[in-house]
Amino acid sequence: MSMEEVFHPMQEPMILAAAISIVVGAVVIVAGLTYFKKWGYFYKNWLSTVDHKKIGIMYIAVALLMLFRGGIDALLMRAQTAVPDNGLLDAQHYNEIFTTHGLLMILFMAMPFVIGLMNVVIPLQIGARDVAFPRLNAVSFWLFAAGCGLLNLSFIIGGSPDAGWTAYFPLAGTEFSPTVGNNYYSLALQLSGIGTLMTGVNFIATIIKMRAPGMTLMKMPMFTWSILITNIIIVFAFPVLTVALALMMLDRQFGTQFFAMQNGGMDMLWANLFWVWGHPEVYIVILPAFGIFSEIIATFARKNLYGYKSMVMSMVVISLLSFLVWAHHFYTMGHGVMVNSVFSITTMAIAVPTGVKIFNWLLTMRHGKIQFTTPMLYALGFIPIFTIGGVTGVMLAMASADYQYHNTMFLVAHFHYVLIPGTVFGVLAGYHYWWPKMFGFRLNEKLGKAGFWFIAVCFNVTFFPLFILGLDGYARRMYTYSESTGYGPLNMLSFIGGIGLAVGFALIVYNIYYSWKHMPRNEKADVWDGRTLEWATHSPVPEYNFAVVPTVTRLDEYWFAKKEGRDITAGKIEKIHMPNNTGTPFWMSGFFFLAAFFAVFNLWIPAIISMIGVFGFMIHRSFEKDHGRYISVEEVMATEKSLRGDK
Amino acid sequence: MKELFPKQHVMGFGFSLLLTVVALAVVKFDMSFNMAFGILLVTALAQATVQLVLFMHIGESEDKKTLYTTILYSVFVGVVTILGTLFAMIWGYN
Amino acid sequence: MKIDSSLPLEYSTEENRLKIFGFWVFLGAEIVLFATLFTVYFTLQTRTGSGPNGAEIFELTPVLWETFLLLTSSFTIGLGVHAMRIGNKKAMMAFFIITLLLGLGFLGIEIDEFITYVDEGATIQTSAFLSALMTLLGTHGAHVTFGFFWGVAILIQVAGRGLNPQTANKAFIFSLYWHFLDVVWIFIFSFVYLKGLIS
Repeated sequence: MSMEEVFHPMQEPMILAAAISIVVGAVVIVAGLTYFKKWGYFYKNWLSTVDHKKIGIMYIAVALLMLFRGGIDALLMRAQTAVPDNGLLDAQHYNEIFTTHGLLMILFMAMPFVIGLMNVVIPLQIGARDVAFPRLNAVSFWLFAAGCGLLNLSFIIGGSPDAGWTAYFPLAGTEFSPTVGNNYYSLALQLSGIGTLMTGVNFIATIIKMRAPGMTLMKMPMFTWSILITNIIIVFAFPVLTVALALMMLDRQFGTQFFAMQNGGMDMLWANLFWVWGHPEVYIVILPAFGIFSEIIATFARKNLYGYKSMVMSMVVISLLSFLVWAHHFYTMGHGVMVNSVFSITTMAIAVPTGVKIFNWLLTMRHGKIQFTTPMLYALGFIPIFTIGGVTGVMLAMASADYQYHNTMFLVAHFHYVLIPGTVFGVLAGYHYWWPKMFGFRLNEKLGKAGFWFIAVCFNVTFFPLFILGLDGYARRMYTYSESTGYGPLNMLSFIGGIGLAVGFALIVYNIYYSWKHMPRNEKADVWDGRTLEWATHSPVPEYNFAVVPTVTRLDEYWFAKKEGRDITAGKIEKIHMPNNTGTPFWMSGFFFLAAFFAVFNLWIPAIISMIGVFGFMIHRSFEKDHGRYISVEEVMATEKSLRGDK
Repeated sequence: MKELFPKQHVMGFGFSLLLTVVALAVVKFDMSFNMAFGILLVTALAQATVQLVLFMHIGESEDKKTLYTTILYSVFVGVVTILGTLFAMIWGYN
Repeated sequence: MKIDSSLPLEYSTEENRLKIFGFWVFLGAEIVLFATLFTVYFTLQTRTGSGPNGAEIFELTPVLWETFLLLTSSFTIGLGVHAMRIGNKKAMMAFFIITLLLGLGFLGIEIDEFITYVDEGATIQTSAFLSALMTLLGTHGAHVTFGFFWGVAILIQVAGRGLNPQTANKAFIFSLYWHFLDVVWIFIFSFVYLKGLIS
């Protein structure tokens, strides 16, 4: 590949502008850190941290950044299609942005947002001092960050993937996608996928083995349950993606024949493997949102969650069913009636446990004294909008009808109606709900609510017209259309809604700045009058989480203890064992990043040298003697006193 | 010297060698494909169980229920992936 | 760190028990990983293009040797863990060294097998069947190779630091990994080679 080809994307003015802004941004950050002499602080407190709360905050920060990167893609798409025969983007650029929009939003926005929240909250909610493997947790984050960085780099160097986020073969093969775009795809997703798999192992071990004394499985908060199930799906679904991506890399870069059109290859096998992972992935991003809504609805309806056992059962059933439905993503591939019938039935069956959950939430609110806080608004908005998404999903589940909807905007509208009220509302609700726990001050409610209303209303303005357009036959992924189709007005409406959505998200970010400037500090520990253990410790949370690990006898122990005037965190303070910070995960992932970057361009010798660096860090870690450290009783008492005294 | 070779392990090894020999029958004797496939399935699963139970001591820790669940769940997902893919891509393909 | 002396060294601390548990969960993920590779192999096994099929290239003798070496290594590492539990460091190290040497023998035969295939004109690029076959075998072989270096690193630590909760924990987890690779091989032996030879 010549230099000219490598930097080819820069010939596009918009990409050049994006590239320049990235470089300028990086220079500003580096200069700022140097000028304020914050490098040491930054490395010691963030880059080398193993504290689950800080890792969670970093995940959420990356997720918000990617929300904007993916959001700009979305706005550009809506702008391009707002009027017929528009020339804002050419076909290639349009292909790249709908591909990266999908990848970023699912894998680098929804996933890290969910993983960030679980990092911050889960150990607190189960009364643990950390996750099971704090260093592995840092490795997970930095591998994810490396994958995220690599995918974003593709935009500037060599060209982004352009075969859709599903990257179907033969389109994604070298014959039809000769640029390095899809090499970036396989390698960037591989890096972050390995990180996610490790997160899965880590959180299963954490939740199974590290709960506070007395907290049996059926006394766990619903969010913890949802995260346990989510991580089980992660551990068993992500290896399929690992294999699929490896085969893609082999096909594209080593000339194998897995998905080829000749020599026995089977192009649709890629689609099959992709969705064997891809459908469980949908539940990986939606189940945590269900957990968050369960917590928030119970807290702000001031009632215990209705139907706890049926909630748990329905999630277990969803986790099993999520592995049995994947072929509904390609009903029109041409397999027989039997296959389509079986997958139709399993797909419709998933609506049953999901329906159970919706009714449980409604019954939780019945006779409750509902407080309309920002997180609660998201939960309330979620129920009706998500139901529209669910019902259109059942329409799509019917194989014979799907021949009509397949690959139209109807499908696009459906999955946005599921993923935005489900996942995005869910993580935003959780973000507003747990923000005071993370930082010790609240987000401004007025701005928060304004953001919610902009998003909830404009979401419908953006996506409802797409249902109608889809039924009228408007195919997805078309970069433009002619005026005679009549698709213009509804597309324009959708674009206007998109601008409104952008305003809503801008308000959410402005709220960070505003609240940081103006909201009172030293907020009390239990800002929402909550029910679960995370509200029993200080805000912001000290490094060791709980000076004394609480004992639990029933669900919502903290809530009942408050009613009875008991302090469940009282007890004798002992010295606390904590892991040491380490820079190894950061540097190791750096070498992983380099290896993957060189591999994208088939530069195998530097790639191998970088991998030797990775193995070097593994060996270093294996031989390292590091048994952690103890925080003395005096130190814990002093911290507790200062945190209490401030209140 | 004797205490270095616990009975359980020696028996397990003998058993796994025996199972290998039984599996070899499918290439040494003439039989129907279904019969051969059945033999392979039984011997392979028995081998896996020998390793899991006798060598890896899956039942020895306090978490044995969770470990069995984990392994069964992964086998469920694995079998669904294999059979489901063959169903969708070969057996049920027009 | 609290050490519970009623348990074997590798289980004796909370951290050790967590690591063993976590590794089992990881093995669950590995089961799915290999199941997916088998999925690909089973789907593509008859799609040989213009290349040879399994019955034409598989040879029973080297495969039997590979199976024997790996089964024996799984036995010897089991003995190594047993020796570790009765506190016999020397015997433990001897068994681990034998295990790793058997692993090397396995790899030698496998590499020879690959070279033979390539000499016969059956490369990973020839057909979908061969791509799937070599990726499945290669992934298993890469695991064995990684395991070899991992085992060496643990042996060095046991030799230098003796048997303590940390080294015993590492050695035990390594033994789980090694047994698991044997299980995977049994499935490759049965459903790739033997089944390939009869159909």
